[in-house]
Amino acid sequence: MKSIKGIFRGNTGLKLKKGNSMNNTSFKENMTGYMFLLPSLIVLGLFLFIPAIMSLYYSLTDYYMLTPNLTKFIGLDNFKSLLSDVQFRKSIVNVFQFVIFIMPIQVGTALGLALLVNKSRRGTLFYKVAYFSPVVMSLVVVSVLWLYLLNPSSGLLNEVLQTFGIPAQPFLSSPNQAMYVIIFVSAWQGAGYQMLIFLAGLQNIPEEVYEASTIDGANKWQQLINITLPMLKPTSLLILTTTLIDAFKLVIQPMVMTQGGPLNSTLTPVYYIFRTGFTDRQIGFASALTVMYGGMIIIFTIIQRKFVGEDTND
Amino acid sequence: MTNKTTTILYHFLSILLAILFIFPLVWMVVSSTKQEAAIYSDMGSFEAFLPSMKISDWLIPYKEIFSRFNIIRYLANSIFYAASVTIGSIIVNSLAGYAFATVKFKGKKILFAVMIASLVIPGETIMITKFVVTEKLGILNTPLAVILPMVATPLYIYMFTIFFRAISTELQEAAMLEGASKLKIYWKIMLPMSKPAIATVGTLSFIMSWNDYIWPLMVMTKSEMYPLQVAITNINNTQPVYMNQVMAILTISTIPLILIYVFFQKHLVQGLSSSGTGVK
Amino acid sequence: MNQRGKSILLMSTALLLGACGNGGEDNASKSDEVSVWVQYSEESAEGQVMAESVKEFNETNDLGVTAVVEYIPRSGSGGGYEDKINAALTTNSLPDVITLDGPNTAAYANSKTIQPLDDYVKVSEDFLPSIIEQGTYNDELYSIGYSESGVGFFYNKPMLEEAGIELDSLPTVDDPWTWDEFNTLLETLNTYYDKPVLNMGFDDQSEWLLYAFSPFVWSAGGDITNEDGTEAVGYFDSEESVEAFDFIQNLVEKGYSTITPVDKGFHTGEYPLYMSGSWTVQELDNEYKDIDYGIMPYPVSPDTNELVSPTGSWAYGMTSSTEKPEEAGALIEFLTSEQELYDMSMGNAVLPARQSVADRMLKEVGEPMQVLIEQNSKTGKARPTLINYPQVSRSFQEAVTESTYFEQNQDIKALLESKAEEIQNNLK
Repeated sequence: MKSIKGIFRGNTGLKLKKGNSMNNTSFKENMTGYMFLLPSLIVLGLFLFIPAIMSLYYSLTDYYMLTPNLTKFIGLDNFKSLLSDVQFRKSIVNVFQFVIFIMPIQVGTALGLALLVNKSRRGTLFYKVAYFSPVVMSLVVVSVLWLYLLNPSSGLLNEVLQTFGIPAQPFLSSPNQAMYVIIFVSAWQGAGYQMLIFLAGLQNIPEEVYEASTIDGANKWQQLINITLPMLKPTSLLILTTTLIDAFKLVIQPMVMTQGGPLNSTLTPVYYIFRTGFTDRQIGFASALTVMYGGMIIIFTIIQRKFVGEDTND
Repeated sequence: MTNKTTTILYHFLSILLAILFIFPLVWMVVSSTKQEAAIYSDMGSFEAFLPSMKISDWLIPYKEIFSRFNIIRYLANSIFYAASVTIGSIIVNSLAGYAFATVKFKGKKILFAVMIASLVIPGETIMITKFVVTEKLGILNTPLAVILPMVATPLYIYMFTIFFRAISTELQEAAMLEGASKLKIYWKIMLPMSKPAIATVGTLSFIMSWNDYIWPLMVMTKSEMYPLQVAITNINNTQPVYMNQVMAILTISTIPLILIYVFFQKHLVQGLSSSGTGVK
Repeated sequence: MNQRGKSILLMSTALLLGACGNGGEDNASKSDEVSVWVQYSEESAEGQVMAESVKEFNETNDLGVTAVVEYIPRSGSGGGYEDKINAALTTNSLPDVITLDGPNTAAYANSKTIQPLDDYVKVSEDFLPSIIEQGTYNDELYSIGYSESGVGFFYNKPMLEEAGIELDSLPTVDDPWTWDEFNTLLETLNTYYDKPVLNMGFDDQSEWLLYAFSPFVWSAGGDITNEDGTEAVGYFDSEESVEAFDFIQNLVEKGYSTITPVDKGFHTGEYPLYMSGSWTVQELDNEYKDIDYGIMPYPVSPDTNELVSPTGSWAYGMTSSTEKPEEAGALIEFLTSEQELYDMSMGNAVLPARQSVADRMLKEVGEPMQVLIEQNSKTGKARPTLINYPQVSRSFQEAVTESTYFEQNQDIKALLESKAEEIQNNLK
């Protein structure tokens, strides 16, 4: 018994060393992978995947929040009516305007800030706290302050503009400008978040690489272009993917600062979904919107990843 | 350009930026020391960023909220939930990230794709169904209901995956040859070498848990188990809303977040030696 | 992975799973308990009054029941608390008595979340008509408001006098101003101060816009829907409704009011006039003692001269799932008794829900509060009880906001026609 087992084990070991390719993944290796994944799979399964699948099902029903027991299966009716939903369409146009501007602004700012505080010098910790502070600030504080600064009649920003001879701007009260204000405030508040992740990525670049290139006579700029940025690629891909998805999920800023107005110019899809599901209690329809919109984001994320390049996967 | 001018320029730029980012924090802390009327009459002038002239007034709003709410209790609850979530999140997510980064197993690509795709699910929309699951598990009214759903997050798994991939394979292979198990490599080599990732996930998990309001309210019925956010919401939504008290409670709730950020930045990120890290 | 590693992982998962399994607490209340959910925290003014009331109920009721209150503070527009109610509906774990926002009565009644109160609660004639209106759906009473709310026009006395206005000439509840007279005041102030003079909260694009602006429509003789709540076309776009929205639009177009008011502008002497509710009285009296102010009632349509003012509040309802309707009814009756409502209204500085309480309070509160109480009990009108109230309210809110963008929306009639259509689609 003992010996047979021993032989068996020995064989497997040999095979592994020889093959070393994907299709030779052993049972043991498989099990190891699943074991490490198990805790997260259980938690995600219970609190993310099962609820998401239930929502997927609700999208085919007429679930009304207050009468869960009367829910009926109605097939694709929700999807048919969302195709002609003007507000949903408007919200998608709005969010694209947001995404196009926020991506370069926020990611660029975050990278700039990270590079600025990456090297430890005197004061770096203070700068790091300062740049990160909007992330932990309550939106109550942030929106009260920005609303004050941006008030068209007495806000500081218009006063500054007027001293330079620029006429006062309506900002959030203008259907044409409100979204740009939301873009600015969101980028301002969110950049610290991506800065933190960029910083972690920068810490992973070994010092030796820089030392070597300094010996070779490279200046700071060349180092940035030739070492830092290429080595940040996996981190950048992570940030681009998650920032894109988060941008598509924009909801809090318009909810607090404009309530989707004026004239629906800052109504975003997730805000619309939230309103339909929770205020109007149409869970079935809101689920259909979520499914439809979620599918759209996934497609755009795939396109973006193809465009930027895949993870350096094995 | 001499070294000195570069340094001065660097600090000048950094400080300008710092002001742009930190002014709400300053305003919040400063406003929490004033009479409400002063907050609004100072608005629009530089005084908005100066504390009350009478130092004896500074603590009045704090006294009021401490007499209205059992702040200590709520703070203790919040710290307990957030600390548990942070520790759980670092362990659970890094285990998964480790598997994705270094172990070969069937279905890995699909699982990873599902993980990234699930980032698109807006959390609010699955709240009701999440509640149903929680109820079925029988953990309503226990701290588990607040902590457990937060210890695994696709975003942080993704982050750990990226950072584990960057750690040199030679070291792992050497350890393997010496007969170390995967778990041991994870614990003895990978975790100590990914301090920046731990710091990042730790900070973000703590903040996420700390700011959560609706979910704890849904799964708990006893007010002595509520986190601090519940008190904040209450002060901020019970008419009349007194801005100085709002700022005082927000200050109490924001300071721990700043501290946790400083803690992680100081102890885990700075002073990381480059030895051994390599990039694939 | 070696055996030890595996077993550690297995163990931790088992722990995780095991932890999920236990701790299942049975939520069903004991046989002599009546459970109540309320939307505020125990520490709030309301919460403290509630705690006292329930204590007293538990000591004095002769049914031998104990009421147990759970405090579930809501966020801004009911979030948090209402999410909890919704979640409890899916798992059948509602308490015996809940509080609900008045406009939710129809939806909760129609979905049988709450049941009619008539069989279990003796409803006194003493309740204000607006409270009964708000709680009635299909001719049955489903909810009883435990306080009232109202809105008036706050005015800064020195600022008005400075502009040459005689304070004695200002309107009263029994002798209100017409819109024209009100516009004359605004014109005078606007000329004198050369800026917007009235903050009406146009920037608060929420329930406020229906709550505070619908009285103009009603005063003109217009309406949101017909009495049965089945038709909006022909009501919301009627000539009378158009007149009211013309009046609203004119306030912005003439520069009397502004869609971007400065926060707390009235409190700091920026605006001489402010349309707001009873909570502002509390703010001014506690934190802005320098502001010398009074309150005047709503102006009325010159065609009808009828003063209408907004009302509405949170209310008690009895769930359909309760197994103790008698006991729950007794509790609601106790909590809405004269003394309890008096304690609630005084403790909380809100308007009373019963006439007798109003009479009692009139003797004890300051002049501004008196105006609000008087206006409320004589002229208050409840918002419509509609199942799809949130959608209808949003259409109304959008109509107000869009009318204030006067350049794009000169044609009020067309605007209201499209909104009436929208509302109609949401009526059942």
